[in-house]
Amino acid sequence: MRLTALLAMAARVKVHPDYRYGTSRPWTVGAQRMNPPGKKRRKVFVEPIQPEDWSLFKGDTVEVLAGKDSGKQGKISQVIRARNWVILEGLNTHYRYIGKSGEYRGTYIASESPLLVREVALVDPSDRKPTQVEWRFTEEGERVRVSLRSGRILPKPVVQRRDGVVPEQWKDGPKDTSPDDALEKTYSASLKTFEEEIAEATGVVETRAGRRTFWY
Amino acid sequence: MAAIKAGRVLSLCRQFQKGLSISTVLPLQQTKVLTSCKAQLSAFRPKFCLLHINNMGTSLAQQCRALHTSQWRRGLEAFFDETPNWGEPTVKSGAPWTAKQLRTKSSEDLHKLWYVLLKEKNMLLTVEQEAKRQRVQMPSPERLRKIERSMKRLDTIVQERENALRLLQTGQERARPGTWRKDFFGRTFWYRFKEYPIPWYLNRRYKRKRFFTLKYVDSFIRRRIESHLHSKILKKKADLENKRKLQEKFSKLSATT
Repeated sequence: MRLTALLAMAARVKVHPDYRYGTSRPWTVGAQRMNPPGKKRRKVFVEPIQPEDWSLFKGDTVEVLAGKDSGKQGKISQVIRARNWVILEGLNTHYRYIGKSGEYRGTYIASESPLLVREVALVDPSDRKPTQVEWRFTEEGERVRVSLRSGRILPKPVVQRRDGVVPEQWKDGPKDTSPDDALEKTYSASLKTFEEEIAEATGVVETRAGRRTFWY
Repeated sequence: MAAIKAGRVLSLCRQFQKGLSISTVLPLQQTKVLTSCKAQLSAFRPKFCLLHINNMGTSLAQQCRALHTSQWRRGLEAFFDETPNWGEPTVKSGAPWTAKQLRTKSSEDLHKLWYVLLKEKNMLLTVEQEAKRQRVQMPSPERLRKIERSMKRLDTIVQERENALRLLQTGQERARPGTWRKDFFGRTFWYRFKEYPIPWYLNRRYKRKRFFTLKYVDSFIRRRIESHLHSKILKKKADLENKRKLQEKFSKLSATT
């Protein structure tokens, strides 16, 4: 097998079909502790929601309908599709210690626990009440979420990139190619192979004929 | 004996010099590395130089002295980042090359870009190794992933073009020849051909390989087929059971909401 494929296989985490997804990502130490290789747990049934019907995104404001903080509104900080989970900022919290070492008990922090998508509802910005949402098409043909009560369009929340880059304010560094150079078309279709074109461009003339080989 | 040794060192020197001759110069480094070179400037600002080394008339000592000139030391700078970036916790970098952008480039440009990316990758790997040695975090490791992605996409584009040309000219779908064969255990698999300098009937190791199945393996093959069919049936049953359970749990829910 090719070396690159082998290395890529080693890098990717393989999960068995009955893997129980948690709040940690499968490649982290915590997740590996929760799901060691031989462990079998009772299967969790996750409601099948089609990808096109999913209407909750990171950064949306939603209201909690059930649980400890029912009636409160919060922003979604993480979405876990595998379990139909949504984690809100500062809501539905329980308290625990982290950074425990030796005798030191660690820091006491509030950690949020996930809520199912059926237990939260999107908030209509016009009247700030929870509504049911449907996907519809606008006049231009754009697919948007529409609140069923008021008919207002709920725009998809703009989320900052993880690397903190704002594309409009980007300035090219010395090693970056300018947009004009990157989009410039230099390709012309020809019947020469890649190697032949390079040999022609660099002036390499190969007069040696290779020895006879056998393929089997 | 001395002549053979001298000859070996001579060839070694020549190899070193050949390694020196193919180098790219980034625009910030204004030093002229090599004189008498065929420079090819392109939009991507690397310079490829092909130096014709005339070894006739120069003594062995002179050729080996060429190894230790400032040329050799200047070449190693390519393994390190630019001096302002040393010690920074993060270094900003642009987006990787997309396949769509790479498809518009000529073979020459792709060839040059490959080596530019390779040099950058070597530099980042050096940084990574040094960070491991010093036991600190590497600054902006996403740069390495971006480079790897760009190189993989470049390779994909070159393969695409090669595939298209081959399909047009020969009708062959695969670049590497192969065939379906049965191994000794009766399993059918795609055997990919290898290139050998000798024909198969002279290749002792190849003749020891068995691409046939003997009669006594038939019962095992039958058992394997049975187990495969059984596992398919089990999977189908498990899927139906799963569907039924989901229906039971969640249609109730959707009925109440």
